[in-house]
Amino acid sequence: MDKAFSFFLVLRLLFQPTTVFKVLSDLQPSSVVVFLKIALWFGILPPLFAYIGASNYGWRLGNVEPLFLPNQTLVVISIAYFIALLLGFISTSIVSRWMASTYGARHALGVHFAMISIVGAPLALGSVIHLYPDVFINILVLVPAILWSMYLLYRGLPIVLHTTPERGMLMASSLIGYFLVALVSLLGITVALWSYGIGPSLGV
Amino acid sequence: MADPAKSLSVEIYSDRIVTVLVMFSIFWAVLGMFAGVYVAAQLIWPELNFDNPWISFGRLRTFHTNVVIFGFAVSALMGTAYYSVQRTCHVRLFAPNLAWFTCWAWQIAILLGGLSLLGGLNTSKEYAELEWPFDIAITVVWVCFAIVFFGTIAKRRIKEIYISNWFYGGLIIVIAMLHIVNSMELPVTLTKSYSLYAGAQDAIVQWWYGHNAVGFLLTGGFLGMMYYFLPKQAERPIWSYRLSIVAFWAFAYSYIWAGPHHLHFNAIPEWVQNLGVIMSLILLAPSWASMVNGIMTVSTAWEKLRTDPALKFIVLALAFYGLATFEGPMMAIKSVNVISHFTDWTVGHVHSGALGWNALITFGTFYFLVPRLVGAKLYSVRLANIHFWMALAGTILYIVAMWGAGVSQGVLWLALDQIGELRYSFTDIMAAMNPYYLLRFIAGLIFLLGAMLMAFNFSMTIIGRRTIAVRPPMLTESMA
Amino acid sequence: MNGLELHHRLENNIGLLIFGILFVTSIGGLVQILPSLFQESLKTPGVNTHVYKPLELAGRDVYIREGCNTCHSQQIRPLVAEVERYGSFSRAGEFVYDRPFLWGSKRTGPDLHRIGGKYSDDWHRIHLMNPRDVVPNSIMPSYPWLAERDANHNQDIVPKLRGLQKLGHPYTQEDINNAPAELEGKTEMDALIAYLQVLGTAYPEGDLSWLIFYSQEICL
Repeated sequence: MDKAFSFFLVLRLLFQPTTVFKVLSDLQPSSVVVFLKIALWFGILPPLFAYIGASNYGWRLGNVEPLFLPNQTLVVISIAYFIALLLGFISTSIVSRWMASTYGARHALGVHFAMISIVGAPLALGSVIHLYPDVFINILVLVPAILWSMYLLYRGLPIVLHTTPERGMLMASSLIGYFLVALVSLLGITVALWSYGIGPSLGV
Repeated sequence: MADPAKSLSVEIYSDRIVTVLVMFSIFWAVLGMFAGVYVAAQLIWPELNFDNPWISFGRLRTFHTNVVIFGFAVSALMGTAYYSVQRTCHVRLFAPNLAWFTCWAWQIAILLGGLSLLGGLNTSKEYAELEWPFDIAITVVWVCFAIVFFGTIAKRRIKEIYISNWFYGGLIIVIAMLHIVNSMELPVTLTKSYSLYAGAQDAIVQWWYGHNAVGFLLTGGFLGMMYYFLPKQAERPIWSYRLSIVAFWAFAYSYIWAGPHHLHFNAIPEWVQNLGVIMSLILLAPSWASMVNGIMTVSTAWEKLRTDPALKFIVLALAFYGLATFEGPMMAIKSVNVISHFTDWTVGHVHSGALGWNALITFGTFYFLVPRLVGAKLYSVRLANIHFWMALAGTILYIVAMWGAGVSQGVLWLALDQIGELRYSFTDIMAAMNPYYLLRFIAGLIFLLGAMLMAFNFSMTIIGRRTIAVRPPMLTESMA
Repeated sequence: MNGLELHHRLENNIGLLIFGILFVTSIGGLVQILPSLFQESLKTPGVNTHVYKPLELAGRDVYIREGCNTCHSQQIRPLVAEVERYGSFSRAGEFVYDRPFLWGSKRTGPDLHRIGGKYSDDWHRIHLMNPRDVVPNSIMPSYPWLAERDANHNQDIVPKLRGLQKLGHPYTQEDINNAPAELEGKTEMDALIAYLQVLGTAYPEGDLSWLIFYSQEICL
């Protein structure tokens, strides 16, 4: 059995989540290694898929003619998306570590990086749907992915971070709160940028 | 008091009224959410209007909002207020018969009011649609509610008035003020009245009401519920007493200003809109202070916790509360609002609060309360856990579907082509919303089925049992 | 600490607490809401703004009864796209005879503030009987019962006009006396269409060039 925190281990989540949690609970991965080996690649997937999708098919905001954006704008948006995802990943991990002392969980940053990578895995893999950037289809795929992530969070957090199920539940709910706020901030910032004229041309 | 022990020996808490209010609240929840799911279906399949005025969308949607807010939420608040005010004051309800009057009169008012909305009596002011006879009835019941609540506090045996009672008190006082001012109308017939305010002024008054009904009922009232039931379950005092003081007064002061953000870019004075933006942003701080206080209360009391389904609901409710109270100020910023206004994003935002916060914290409180009221174990913890995941899935799917629909509408309505002409026709955009509406319908259905599961669970718990008698604790020297 | 002491007094005295809550929550209303009730510009009718004729008023009350405002706004924002789509943006002066206001909060269907005169009466009649006959994708309910009901079937037009007169709408005694006759033989459908046809016609379509500046300024 592979005992290091690797891509392979994360992929096994799809089939044996409990085993992966148990393996990880004995590991002390370094934050740099997790970041470079896992998080960075997970983070690059969604913007890459989104770029390919948007340049080939345009944004489909429903059953109307798709919106095509100039290539340069698309590159800028994709890079901003990538940065936002990495910032989201790092900030969530830091928030998680900050909460750890309250909930008596493990403290090493690497563990939190690993935990958030695991939780983010369904979303990162689900983002393959960005290849066809129809908002509805994306919601259809990504909402189950979000729920799966939340399930992994509730199930995995107490095992991986060495805390009791009760406290793990509290910490997981707090992280969900943080995640929801981060998500809606992303939406708000995007929309505000559009109304300032970055993105589709709007008559405001 | 000559002989406190003697007077206490006959006194028990008025808890039967709480049981009745909780059961009515669940009844209205299921009925109101069913109406919600049905109107969601009408937006996909207009044939479901059946050319019947009583269930046509415009009336049934109003029925939905009124039944869930005034039936489900207010019954839950009334019941939990009566439960907690007795226990934080160590006395039985003041004027129990008057309390029973508020309970039944309110249910009758909601029943007849709901029917009157389906019958087409409607003032059209959002969340204040009931016609003038109902406005008067509501005022009477509300004043009686205030008499019972504040009367109980007045005869308390504990010196300090506990935090939860400030929030419930705020709810009672401010809703009375809002309701009376906003419902000022001139009756012209038994079933028709005209507002005393006209046009832009009516709009300003209405959204002062509408926003603060959300503020002091759906936020403040439920914070009262949180401030009592969360420490109760954690068996711990509230994490920070000072924070709760600051949060309460800052909340009460700043919420009242934020109403005009519902009227951005509308024909009202610009300074009123801008003040609304600023106060909405400030509002985030006290809103989140209460959330932090709640989370930290349970978080520091972990050794007391059991795997109780009730607590899961309440803690998750706080997470959605965090989302909704952040999203609100964000949508009040004009550059976001210009896209989100008039779209389904607003509907999604309301439901992240209504489903994620109000319904979840009420469910959690009921899972705690019902077994204790009848002195029995919950019929099935497993069903409650299934309900938890259905509620979570339904809420997330609802919010995300409406984000998709809302942002699409906002962008497509405003999108221009190279020569500055509109890109899309309104009907095309409307038709494009169909898949999102389908998702929303499914989300609502999941949430409704979860609520029905809870209703079944409680019926099995309550059936054949009576509300048990609980006596206030004996007076000790220090309390007297 | 002084603040805490003050608070101890509040939480030991229910009367003070009630007063404190009332005081704190009134400030916003007094400073922000009350002045607008005295602001003349919000009460002054626009150039062509008139009171609703009895038939239009009956139609407006049908609009309210059926909850049309749950899906249709009556408020065109001063944005380029919005003005292009719906027409000249809404001004406060156009609504001074609207009790209550019907600006709405949701556009499931299009804005209706400038709908007046855009379609024929016959179009509206067909559309209200079954919207899908003219707009195939429409999700709007049908309103066939409006065609079967007498516009004055509650016999309430006179008390309604009298009420509005009391509230300061310039109806003459003659207007009120003639009202029942004006509704004679009309259905609720006729009344609603009369209302829709007068909506937003109070302000003349004018020069829009200055709009561009305005919209840039307000996008905060």
